[in-house]
Amino acid sequence: MNSMKLKLIYPEEKIKEPLLSKVCKNFNIDINIRKANVQEKIGWLELEFIGNDEEIEKAINFLVENGVEVQPIEGQVFIE
Amino acid sequence: MAKVKALKCKECGAEYPVEPIHVCEFCFGPLEIVYDYDEIKKNISREKIEKGPKSLWRYIDLLPVENPTVGLSAGFTPLVKAENLGKLLGLNNLYIKDDSVNHPTLSFKDRVVAVALSKAKEFGFDTAACASTGNLANSVAAHAASAGMKCYVFIPANLETNKIIGSLVFNPVVVAVDGNYDDVNRLSSEIANEFGWAFVNINVRPFYSEGSKTLAFEVAEQLGWKIPNVVVAPLASGSLYTKIWKGFNELREVGLVEGDLPRMLGAQAEGCSPIYQAFKEGRDFIKPVKPNTIAKSIAIGNPADGPYAVKVAKESKGDIQIATDEEIIEGIKLLAKTEGIFTETAGGTTIAVLKKYVEMGMIDKDEVVVAYITGNGYKTMEVLEGKLEKPIHIKPSLAEFKSKVIGG
Repeated sequence: MNSMKLKLIYPEEKIKEPLLSKVCKNFNIDINIRKANVQEKIGWLELEFIGNDEEIEKAINFLVENGVEVQPIEGQVFIE
Repeated sequence: MAKVKALKCKECGAEYPVEPIHVCEFCFGPLEIVYDYDEIKKNISREKIEKGPKSLWRYIDLLPVENPTVGLSAGFTPLVKAENLGKLLGLNNLYIKDDSVNHPTLSFKDRVVAVALSKAKEFGFDTAACASTGNLANSVAAHAASAGMKCYVFIPANLETNKIIGSLVFNPVVVAVDGNYDDVNRLSSEIANEFGWAFVNINVRPFYSEGSKTLAFEVAEQLGWKIPNVVVAPLASGSLYTKIWKGFNELREVGLVEGDLPRMLGAQAEGCSPIYQAFKEGRDFIKPVKPNTIAKSIAIGNPADGPYAVKVAKESKGDIQIATDEEIIEGIKLLAKTEGIFTETAGGTTIAVLKKYVEMGMIDKDEVVVAYITGNGYKTMEVLEGKLEKPIHIKPSLAEFKSKVIGG
């Protein structure tokens, strides 16, 4: 069991899609939302994905493929 | 009593012991050092600082380190009165804080890394790491080498090797990750969690970023213990800009200076300007962007301290502006030909934006203005290819020299 802290940023055109619900249904992970701000033009959530590494990775890939920006919180690292 | 009391979440205020951690367990906000200013006030004085080492460690009373062992000669860079550039812009009191000559790797990163790795050694780490392709990697690799620490640098695999020669020379382990920048970042954060290394901009970040405060301390001391009216600084992650502000605030807090705090003017490249956009649109959050600019050293698409930088710009009655790639090049050339200082693209951005503010009438001619130059132009000379005057070719004859060079 692993846990990963992530920030999801939704572009405007994806806000109306129930992507997180699909993640819950299709991948074997628990989601723990800590902070969120969803408005008309942008939405972001800070949350924890809890599960095994493979399922977390699959869930991240699903979100990325659907246009969501997935950033690590633990380690806002920057490449110059 | 210790000068450092705790770590505290910048968002919810939850307090933590002084450990190599950086994220609040409750709200995921970033952690910051809490000092006991009453205690510091008892020990600190202008005289004590002036007698201290000629490095950033003269301000150790306001840094989260007890026993500096790494980067002992970092900081205390020149503050140059920019007479020529000032005259050209119509500013009577323009100064350049020149971190392009910081020791040992010629950028302001030597400050933050000196603090980060000194603290890392206090915590007992034997390995330093970072994800960087530029100034940060140079500095971490150099300081780790001199401190006898193992060093890992993470980069995306598609990066040209000649871009990292300045880091490779210090013999770190360079890990080229098959993926884009986001993948490297995500992997780095997982490694930091699992391996117990000092990842300078992850688990020791609260300590690391404090090093930037010395940019404010030195300027105040070099101005004769005065706070400038205006600061112009580049914005990448937003950390440097917010820490310069914190530095001036702390100097007042402990009674070393008096007077008003500066207006904080920030500079971003147009091709990567998420903080500028948030400021302009009055947002308190950052919309990430994909960087597209020659100013690689400040091209951070999702800046962690962006919201705090926006807050500082507002609180200080400051502003944030952008410069195009062409303006950045002109900024580099302008600083070089007027003051003999060769900076890289971040410095070019700062000078370009300084010029803009003067043209917009946002700086009074008699105000004391400090522009922060954070990196050295000799590292990124390729950006100037084809942008400079060509040599005048002549045959080895005096007549040709006279006709072609002197003219007539």
